[in-house]
Amino acid sequence: MTTVEKGWIGARYTRREDLRLLTGKGQYLADLRVVRDPLVVKFVRSSVAHALIKSIDVSAAAKLPGVVAVLTGADIRDKIRPLPTPSTVPLLPGHYPTHWPLAVERVRFHGEPVAAVVATDKYTAEDAVELVQVEYEDLPPITDPEKALLADSPLVHPDIGTNVMFSMVLTGGLTEAEQAANKARVDSIFATADVVVKERFYGHRCGVMPLETRGAVASFDPEAGLRVWMSTQRPHIDRLVFSELFDIPQNQVQVSAPRDQGGAFGVKAPVYREPIMIVYLTKLLGRPVQWIETREEHLMAVSQERDQIHELELAADKQGRILGLRDRVIADNGDSCEGVFWGFIMPFYGAALVPNAYHIPDCDISITAVATNKSALSPARAFGSLPGRFALDRAIDMLARKVGKDAADVRRMNLITQLPCNIATGVHYDSGNFVGVWDKLVQHIDVPRFRQEQRAARAEGRYIGLGFGVAVHASGVASEALVPMEGQPGYGSATLKMDSSGTVTVFEGDAPQGQGHETTMAQIAAEILGLDPEDVTVRVGDTNNTPFASGTFGARGGSYTASAVAMAAKAIRDKIVKVVAHDHKLEPDPAHFRFEAKSIWHKDRAEALTSMAGVCNRIIMKPLDLPAGADASLEHTAFFEAKEPMMAFSAHAAIVEADPASGEFRILRYISSEDVGRVINPLIVEGQVRGGVVQGLSNAMFEEFIYDENGQQLTSSMENYMLANAADVPNIEILHADTPCEHTPLGTRGMGEGVPGPVPGALCNAICDALEPFGIEIRDLPVRPDRVWALLQAARARAAG
Amino acid sequence: MTREISVTVNGTVYRKQVPVRLLLVDFIRDVLDLTGTHQGCTYEGVCGACTVQLNGEAVKSCMMLAVQADGQQVTTIEGLARNGVLHPLQKAFKEHHGLQCGFCTSGMIMNAEEFLRTNPRPTEDEIRHALIGNICRCTGYQGIVAAVSAAAEEMSAAGTPAKSGS
Repeated sequence: MTTVEKGWIGARYTRREDLRLLTGKGQYLADLRVVRDPLVVKFVRSSVAHALIKSIDVSAAAKLPGVVAVLTGADIRDKIRPLPTPSTVPLLPGHYPTHWPLAVERVRFHGEPVAAVVATDKYTAEDAVELVQVEYEDLPPITDPEKALLADSPLVHPDIGTNVMFSMVLTGGLTEAEQAANKARVDSIFATADVVVKERFYGHRCGVMPLETRGAVASFDPEAGLRVWMSTQRPHIDRLVFSELFDIPQNQVQVSAPRDQGGAFGVKAPVYREPIMIVYLTKLLGRPVQWIETREEHLMAVSQERDQIHELELAADKQGRILGLRDRVIADNGDSCEGVFWGFIMPFYGAALVPNAYHIPDCDISITAVATNKSALSPARAFGSLPGRFALDRAIDMLARKVGKDAADVRRMNLITQLPCNIATGVHYDSGNFVGVWDKLVQHIDVPRFRQEQRAARAEGRYIGLGFGVAVHASGVASEALVPMEGQPGYGSATLKMDSSGTVTVFEGDAPQGQGHETTMAQIAAEILGLDPEDVTVRVGDTNNTPFASGTFGARGGSYTASAVAMAAKAIRDKIVKVVAHDHKLEPDPAHFRFEAKSIWHKDRAEALTSMAGVCNRIIMKPLDLPAGADASLEHTAFFEAKEPMMAFSAHAAIVEADPASGEFRILRYISSEDVGRVINPLIVEGQVRGGVVQGLSNAMFEEFIYDENGQQLTSSMENYMLANAADVPNIEILHADTPCEHTPLGTRGMGEGVPGPVPGALCNAICDALEPFGIEIRDLPVRPDRVWALLQAARARAAG
Repeated sequence: MTREISVTVNGTVYRKQVPVRLLLVDFIRDVLDLTGTHQGCTYEGVCGACTVQLNGEAVKSCMMLAVQADGQQVTTIEGLARNGVLHPLQKAFKEHHGLQCGFCTSGMIMNAEEFLRTNPRPTEDEIRHALIGNICRCTGYQGIVAAVSAAAEEMSAAGTPAKSGS
């Protein structure tokens, strides 16, 4: 383990990415001028949810001057290998529908690509899209996952023979007998419990929607191979898939994520139809091809997650101690055609995290993911877990009301205190201090004082309320968990190269999209090598010069990649120590040497032994008289593999004021208490928390993908898929706990990914607490004034009997 | 159908033959190759990433045709720093972590710059309302609001003359 004195790590260091982005010099995908006059691709998308394709007439479009090609599913079905392929399919027992980049024979959701138009410019391509005539024969739309489970339901994928794409019991064990025994035990707990809460919750369809859409630029040369630039979180996985689909050796495929990407939050992680089509087109036409997704396409095809029903039950004693939990999760999986994630990986993972930070050894949890005629669920920050967080945190407040206690006290009583532990679904929690983080939050708020204020406000006819939500979220996933599940590694990797002038280049095969790796990774390397962050350049996202990497997602950066950078820097430091000790006839004990102020120091010498520039030049350019076993290399590639999966914890509180007449509510305060281990850069951690909370608020209050009964998607513009703006949200107060992680060389944990998860629960608990005299309980998201008003009306009608 | 237009962008006069249906944002990005102006909602006028200034007034360049800018003065993010000196807003965005992915930043700053000329000493609430036409998906807005506030203070303290957008 490297021990590092206080220095760059932990510093509130402003970002190295900022200057270029603030002066308009960022290089996002659409800004790259890497190929000459690329042909532009636009997709014709299905206007109906479920239909057989009778005919597609492309003749008018093809005749338009400037149009180079128009292709349909029939043109490509024998030319492109369909998904799934070995590297796009997890090792879980689910159904993986065969699909091509363009619909073949039938369409399964409103927005599915049915034809691709290639033209010399985007205006012509748009015109041509309008000229493509598709004749459909309507099939009954399947829009309700519960109805889709009925025996007489039509099927989204008739060849599969069921709409159930994935189902699993997550508790009790792997065999049916073990699961049945577990179920019986949980049943007996419920049968004898003092208190039972039994509710149905719904976390609606919404997602992340980065401001930069998806896109890809590709060129192919039979000799040089395939070159793809794309907005992606996982360039190395993309390379693997393109190689596999098009029979090009991996070393002839280069995938580059641009240095600048306009957000992703999960949605740029899967293997989608469109980039595959772009690669096919560049090979077919022998010219560079570009596709930049429109916002309308983005809202129709991706960025849709959550969408889970939770039939959740809690058994508890009179004190409010939770004894058992049942949860039947039904996820609306959409058409389920999406490489790597297939819609259900998110709700599966979310179901595994349902017990959250609460000590509930006896659980009976199952998940059923159902195909419908909607867009496949695609990954979104808080990966599958947002509806479950909402459901359990709401249920705990209902439990608190039943046992006549403050919800804060019931939560505290049920938090996990013994770490490490395995929760009932088998997920391992490594370390941390949940209770400490929680106590910090409630002390900061001063709950007893808040209750006084609440009573005083009510006496004046004002209704304020306090609500909590918590989340244990993964800091990356270790190979040990990811290989059996997905057939993919989870390790972090990085290459460090020192040059003869004593500066460093870090090569990272992940593909950040705003997380600030050029800053944090530079801080780590600078700290270990005694340099300034300015002496470290971080190169990301290019498969040609980086070690294989899993990508930037799931809060892996601060845990896995940061650890690999630290290990590589440490290895280079050790090598330099050997040479310096040899040159100065000193004992080569690393503990005797300090790397500081761009020089190397010995414990017994007042003066620096050498500058970094001097020793690097000596090793690389004058490799004479080196110590035995040393060579001229000052390059090191490190792979960090966690022995245990790592988790971060956060506890959130919202304070709102609500109007019982109108159902309107206003957030007065929002506080997040976080334990992310040792912080590399507080500025960046705080930015991740604030942004994540606001995404959660935006999800909870504004965003909603709406499909009508015919499966028509009604929210394909930002006019009606509403996002929170600056005036909609409060400032976020942040409390840090910083319990060092025991499983990383620097004590860091990744964070950021799970932040939106606890937000809807905290918000809705606060609203229900504010309106407690009126007896409303929010069970469905999103929460909007009209819905709160409807709940108030229903409660008044009930009270009036 | 094309037409010749003459547009002054960041102080330089450009005379170009353009299709009459070409959007101003595409003129700026594709014809002039000034890619600091971004497209987030693809011509819906909602996200604000394409905000530039037309004769000093913040406008969404996806909602205008290039021919409508004929004879006008356009300022983009590339024209904000003068002689290598960053505008106080640019400095404050860095200082207050007002950006993560940076995709909304150009539009956010071009809007805020005009706002501070009309309201040099805004309250936090006024700043938040001034920015409702610009969506940010990363920061939760807090760093942005803090940056605009800090820039306002710096500009007032320095007596920075209100810069016109031209």
